Amino acid sequence: MNSLVQCPKCQALLLEGIFNQPELSPCPSCGVPLQVEIFPALFRKINPGQSGEALMVEGESCCFFHPQKKALLPCGSCGRFLCALCDCELNGQHYCPACLEAGKTKGKIKSLENQRTLYDSIALSLAIYPLLIFYFTLITAPATLFIAIRFWKSPISLVRRSKIRFVVAIILALLQIAGWIALFIAIGTRHSSIPHAKN
Amino acid sequence: MAVASRTSLWLGADHLLFVDSNGYTESYKRFYFRDIQAFVVQKNQTATIINIVLTILFVLVAASALSVQLAGLKYFLFSLAGGIAFIMLINLLRGQTCRCFLRTAVQIEQLPPLNRVRRAQKIFARIRPIIVAAQGGEISPQMVSSLMQEKVQSYTTEPVTTPHSPNIPPRLDS
Repeated sequence: MNSLVQCPKCQALLLEGIFNQPELSPCPSCGVPLQVEIFPALFRKINPGQSGEALMVEGESCCFFHPQKKALLPCGSCGRFLCALCDCELNGQHYCPACLEAGKTKGKIKSLENQRTLYDSIALSLAIYPLLIFYFTLITAPATLFIAIRFWKSPISLVRRSKIRFVVAIILALLQIAGWIALFIAIGTRHSSIPHAKN
Repeated sequence: MAVASRTSLWLGADHLLFVDSNGYTESYKRFYFRDIQAFVVQKNQTATIINIVLTILFVLVAASALSVQLAGLKYFLFSLAGGIAFIMLINLLRGQTCRCFLRTAVQIEQLPPLNRVRRAQKIFARIRPIIVAAQGGEISPQMVSSLMQEKVQSYTTEPVTTPHSPNIPPRLDS
């Protein structure tokens, strides 16, 4: 990637006159109004990755993954010794690649989590939308209850922390089930109250 | 039912969290303050185009409302015209539209939640001090100038050929 800031429209390189201005200024090349806020990280040099120091002394602690390399620190999760190459730093913690991968897939490391399924929204949709064709609720109401109870403890949205959707879904599902039960009872009692014809 | 994705931007302790939700799943992107190199706001004409389209619609609906004789239809068309005027007003009040990009060392990401110039400027004013503090302090305009010159110089004098590395396979053509 180009290390200089470019105009998003014409891709021309932007030079210092346009940076950190309080208002929009025209791009020197295409004239489109731009506001460019730059930060010190733009000028920071990227350090090359370390490959790990070779073992020099017999009996020295070695990396779990590279026995010929010197261990620098232990993994914050599994405790395995790591060389500079295997050390993955994340928010001040040091992990080995295996724990990092496991943390991502199992959702143990929150800052690596990049997707969540919103079971509360699914349950609420399943409770509301089938009301348009009421007969569907015979199936969807128990399904809503199942989803709401099964996934009650599963993590919900990272930014929305209330379980209100689950609660509303459960209430709606229970009302729908109660409605169906009342309907069946009404049909049953009506059917039994009709006098049978004598032969 | 979710038919379109909805995006939002959240301020975390040490990062900006970009959330893209389709109603049933959410995907997250984290931009750590220490990694953010630049924000670029590009003003566009979307708000003007929306207002032109809405004005045409408003004129058509209002003219139809004035010309029809049926009282019920007249009321319906007037209320529709009122609705269009209301949307126009909201669009006007929200200000000019823009596209906002966030740049790090390895990516340029568009931030759809920052689609109005005023809102983008408000957000920048709020997060700029946090980002600057996370990156060890502000750089002066003079320093920016000299660093930019350095960068431009290194960009223009960068060799085109890739350096020899054992990880790069040998080039076969002469």
